[in-house]
Parts: sequence; C-alpha cells; structure tokens
Amino acid sequence: MRGRGILSSIANLVIFILLEVACLHLVTNNAALQRTWVARGSHAFMGTVWGASESVRHYFTLSAENKKLVEENNELQQQLAKAQHRLRQARIDTTQTDTHPGYTLTPAEVVKISRNKQHNYLIINRGFEDGIQEKSGIVTSKGVVGIIDAVSEHHAFALSLQNHDISISARIGNEGGSGILVWDGIHSNVALLKEVPLQYHYQPGDTVFTSGHSLLFPPDIPLGVAGESRVINGATNEITVTLFQDFGSVRYVTVVHNDSFDEIEAF
Amino acid sequence: MKRGDFWIAYVLLLVAQLLLSNYFHVTPYIFLTILPVMVLCIPIRVGTTGAMLIAALTGLTVDYLSEGVLGLNALALIPVAYFRNGIIGLVFGRELFARKEDFSVERCGFGKVAMALFLSTLLFLVIYIWADGAGTRPLWFNGLRLAASLGASFVVSLLTLGVLAPDPRK
Repeated sequence: MRGRGILSSIANLVIFILLEVACLHLVTNNAALQRTWVARGSHAFMGTVWGASESVRHYFTLSAENKKLVEENNELQQQLAKAQHRLRQARIDTTQTDTHPGYTLTPAEVVKISRNKQHNYLIINRGFEDGIQEKSGIVTSKGVVGIIDAVSEHHAFALSLQNHDISISARIGNEGGSGILVWDGIHSNVALLKEVPLQYHYQPGDTVFTSGHSLLFPPDIPLGVAGESRVINGATNEITVTLFQDFGSVRYVTVVHNDSFDEIEAF
Repeated sequence: MKRGDFWIAYVLLLVAQLLLSNYFHVTPYIFLTILPVMVLCIPIRVGTTGAMLIAALTGLTVDYLSEGVLGLNALALIPVAYFRNGIIGLVFGRELFARKEDFSVERCGFGKVAMALFLSTLLFLVIYIWADGAGTRPLWFNGLRLAASLGASFVVSLLTLGVLAPDPRK
C-alpha cells in the first residue's frame, strides 16, 4: 500500500514535470520575450552544470596534472641551477677587478654562519687551494663581515664581526677621527666605535668607513652610520654605529687579502 | 453538491474567467484570476493527476481564447493542481482525504478556507507574474503587481466559493 503511494507520487511528479515542460515549450514558441528569457535561463543553467562537470573532471585528472607539474618543476630547478652557476661565474669576473689595489679579492659563498652567540663565526666555501690565507678580511658591498682565522683545503673558518674577539680600525667621515670598531654584543646591527679622540668632531648620521690603518681591510669600505656618543674617562669618545651589513642575509662575500701583509708583518 | 453541478459551475466560471481576461484591463498592476480557486475546489476524489490534467486543459483554454501568451496560465495553474493536496492537507488536515470529503466554509470554517485560497492564489500569481515579466520588469513592479493582483483575485475568488464549494448539508 505504501509502495503504491510512493509510485503514485513519482508518477504525479513525472506528469507534473512533463506538463510544465510542455507549457514552457508552448510559452517560448509563442512569445519572443519569454523565448529569450528561457534561453538565457537555460544557458545559465547549462553553464553551471558544465562548470560543475568540468570541476569534477579536473579533480579526477589531478594525478596527471601533478605529474606534469613535478616534471616542470624539475626542469625549472635545473634551469635555476644553471643560472645560479652562471651568476656565480659573473660575480667572479666582476669582483676580481682591481677595485682595491694591493689587495687580492676572492669571491666566496657563506656555507655556515652563526648569529645568536657572543662569539659568532662563519665558514666560507674557499680554502687554501683557492688562495685563501689566514688573516684575510671578508667584506661585502655593505661592509665588513669578518676575519679569516683558519683555512682548510676547500673551506675557511672566520670570526664574524659579531664576535667580541675581533675589532677593526674605522674612521668617521672622509677625514674624521679613527677608532676601533667592535660589536656591541647586544644588537645584530650595532657596533661601537671606541677610542675616538675628543678633538675630532662628527655629526650623527655621518658614515663610518674602514680606515685602512689595519692590514686586513682596504680603506673606505662603508660600514655604517654614526649615532650617539659618550665620553669615556674624559679622554675619548665612544660612538654608536648602526651597521649597513645585515648578517641575517649575508651569502655572497669577498675575501680580501693584503698582498703586502707578510712583508709589513715582518717589521 | 452533485458531480454534474460542480462541473457545470466549473465551466461557467471558466467562461467568467475568459470575460475577465478579455475585458478587465483596469490597470497593469492588477491581474484578476479565479483559476486557482477553481482548481483548488476540484473534488478530492479526482486525484492529483486528474487535477493537473484538468488544470492544464483549463489554463490552455483561457490562454487560447483570451489575449495573452499561449501556455502561460497553464504553466502557472498546473503547480496549483500539483500542490493542491499538500495545501489542503496543510490547512484542513489529512482527514478530508481519509473520508474523501471536499472542503467547504461551513464544514472547515472560513479562516481555513480563506487560507487555502490565499496560498493557491499566491502560488499561481507568483509563477504567472514571474513568467509574464520574463526578467524584463523590475522587482518592485512585480511585487506591487503581485500584491494588488493577490488582493483583488482573493476577494473575487471568495465570492465564487459559494458556487464551487457550497454547504454540503443544503
């Protein structure tokens, strides 16, 4: 009895739909306005249905798409590696120009660097086979990075400027007073320029350069910007310097070695 | 009411609807119809399929013999026939189907009959006005037309109840 009722309901629904479709057909055949309206509606409906079916089809072809993307990704990675190799070669060509006479420049790449200690260090991918020697400086276009402390065949170990054990000679402005630049030990980009004689005046914002008084670094490499100062023991100034170098992003560096280092050290 | 009397009344009201469709053009906001009440009052024993076929025939007759788009009245009237049992069951309860009795004001009360009439007229007019506008008329126009037509048609339909659903005790 219940099954008969369901069948009857289904039959009624089918008849209802058939009658409505027939009426709609009559309406569209007899009125241009309604014909356009129904056509627009049916196009919208078909668009939705086709869009949904396309989405389903795409879902089931995702595996093939993924495979294709992996292949493309692999190819792009190979191209990237080739481009990076060419870029490195180009860096070698451009940085080995004689921008610092009397110094030998060797490009290198940082393979490891520590930044969260009081005695930070870095390791570069050049060793004594590449002509790297101890007591060479490491610089970038943004300033000093460190000093090489030990050299192996293909790598070199260097003390970072963010290390209390190293200091470099620096000066304020083109003709300002010189002092010793050391890391403040607190901030990643702040150093202190110590022992600057009181008679030398400067303005906050003046650029701090390497002085060239040490044997390690050529002169006039910009290091940072001078900030506040305080007088130490009534004899010298201690000036805060905000460094240009961002140690968090350093990757490509140049090793600078004074050609006359051994000769001058002999004195 | 005898079976024959109902169908005579039905045909007479169909003629009345034809007159209304052809000569009652007071304003574009009012579309006067008594077709929903005619379908609603088709005896329950006829069944949904029979009611839908009668509604289709009635709608097509009006469409063919009056000014308008052929199929439009039928398009709106068939759903009234399809949902007729649902409306009756909702408003009057399922007992009418069990007893195979037709509703009347005297038996079911004016409020319930008016509610059933209102729902069937509303269903008819929503479809009719929506299809007649064919997406070219603004919503406010359709809304206003629906409200005005519903009010007018509801009142006229109430007047026909005495003919289509008379007191069974008389």
